[in-house]
Amino acid sequence: MGDNTQFKRALISTACTLAFTAAGSAHAANWLMLQGTEDPASAARANVWGFIQGLYEKDYSDPNAGGGFVPPKLLGPDLDSQDGFNINRARIGVRGTGFPIDSKINYFALLEMGNNGITSSNGAFAKLTDASITLNHIPGARVRAGLFKTPGSEEALQAIHVSDYINFTEGANILLNERFPNKSYTPCPVASSITPVCNPASGNVGPYTEAQLQAGAKFNSQPGPVGAFRDVGVQVFDAFDVGNDWEVSYAAMIGNGNGIEFSNSDGEYDKYLYFSAEKGLDGGKGGRAHGLKFFGWGQWGTRLLDVTNDSVSNLKSYDRNRAGLGVKYLKKPFRVTAEYVKADGMIFEGPDKTNWYFTGPANGNGADAKAYSWYVEGGWYIPKTKWELDARFDTLTRNDGRNDQHRFDKWTLGVQYHFNPKTRVTFNYEIRDFECNSGAAVCNNVNANLRGVGNKAGVQLTAIF
Amino acid sequence: MLTYFRSFFLAIASLLFITVASPALAAESGFADYKYVLQLSDMDPSKQELILNNAANLLAAYPPGQVEVEIVAYGPGLRLLFAENMHAQRIDSLSQSGVKFSACGNTLKAMSKMLGEEPKLSPVAKMTPAGIVRIGELVKQGYIYIKP
Repeated sequence: MGDNTQFKRALISTACTLAFTAAGSAHAANWLMLQGTEDPASAARANVWGFIQGLYEKDYSDPNAGGGFVPPKLLGPDLDSQDGFNINRARIGVRGTGFPIDSKINYFALLEMGNNGITSSNGAFAKLTDASITLNHIPGARVRAGLFKTPGSEEALQAIHVSDYINFTEGANILLNERFPNKSYTPCPVASSITPVCNPASGNVGPYTEAQLQAGAKFNSQPGPVGAFRDVGVQVFDAFDVGNDWEVSYAAMIGNGNGIEFSNSDGEYDKYLYFSAEKGLDGGKGGRAHGLKFFGWGQWGTRLLDVTNDSVSNLKSYDRNRAGLGVKYLKKPFRVTAEYVKADGMIFEGPDKTNWYFTGPANGNGADAKAYSWYVEGGWYIPKTKWELDARFDTLTRNDGRNDQHRFDKWTLGVQYHFNPKTRVTFNYEIRDFECNSGAAVCNNVNANLRGVGNKAGVQLTAIF
Repeated sequence: MLTYFRSFFLAIASLLFITVASPALAAESGFADYKYVLQLSDMDPSKQELILNNAANLLAAYPPGQVEVEIVAYGPGLRLLFAENMHAQRIDSLSQSGVKFSACGNTLKAMSKMLGEEPKLSPVAKMTPAGIVRIGELVKQGYIYIKP
């Protein structure tokens, strides 16, 4: 009896402690807090900041036997060349408290002007990627409203300007960075001097030759920007100092499920949940604060697609669910991260036939397919130097269990030189092994193209201001 | 004889007065060899960390008891002494090491009017009616004035 009473008292005491020690500031690399809050009673009214990333990349893939190239052999976002320079990101933002003596309200806004999946489809000079306001009035339940990164995968949630690699893992790129197809059925494109004849049965537009690419053919037919791991909605979140340098965080969000666009035409909302527990370790600050973090998350939503090749809009609802868990350790000179992601529905298959790839027949395209991915990466900050070595292995299996099951394996070897804490150059060499691995006959044609996917090299300069 | 006793009595009374009054006098002028008053009246958040670094460096530069440091916060600088300030733990630690923190009453009144409620201050903050006047008083007492 006495033990029960003591246990109950301990439980109540713990609950009260959790309720009343909501962290007032970020603890280690807590992206929810770093992006959604400002330092209390210590933030500027308006802090202008941003970053520029300039990139040179070269893809060493070979064309297929007929001289044709498929999207994995071409550089995004335009997918019409194998090498070149690009300003892949140029962002300017402002954040702060607005009314500095009131720490309970803060805001965050960011504009993208680089050439990437966010900007390339709409032809606009710039695209708003973040615009949010956070209300910090309720202890333990901060409220963030607007357009911002959804709580989820560490690779997606972390600020891109501190990412140690030039390109995303295949899992993040294909499963998480959502592409939004035409809702209306998109049949095979009409053949032209720069577009090969399309096979209506398979939907295969056929690879583009170098001549066709140089004449203006492009694989990227996306009607809108990528989701950029973001949504417009409302999130409740907070972090709690639970003692012994441990911090526990949570986030629950509801959003339109339309990335960085501002409509919710299907009337349904995406739901997001996130949980993390992090042990703070001495050293580092901000996005590179030291710690050992465990995290798990889930995202649930639906998408509408027209499934019939006619003038009638026959919309069908497909689930789009994602979930993952992972761990990240950072204590210089070492860093190790591992994540696993599971995906159900709306699996991105290719950029050139945006609706067809999701709803096409035969082997089952992406709308109701499943996929999973994982990666492990590590970094070594060479002591007493400004150099860093990085290595990452990532793998994606999409259309899991189907005749057109694909497996994309990639090693990324990297070297970084940090001129100063805000400017660095990143060298990456990607070793890629992509294939259709179900053993079914349909893989023959696919592999005739994928087996030519070669390695890729890149050098990126990042300057944060 | 009477004169002798009067002189003796006056000497004892003077000794007693000095002994009792010394702590009170020390509270204002102290026996430290060096006394610094640091002003924080900036909105710039980086000044908060800078002024705390200044205070810590001053404590470290002198033997214990040989330096007195007082930070006077007024205007936008009063945010440093808000209870929720991100530097609250460090302020508490510096206070325990002898650094004094003075909060301007005029600023607090003005901020209360703007916010509709009085901001909660750090428990180590000592109210002074007017921060700028407090700085003047300390300078007159021989404090070295620093505005980072």
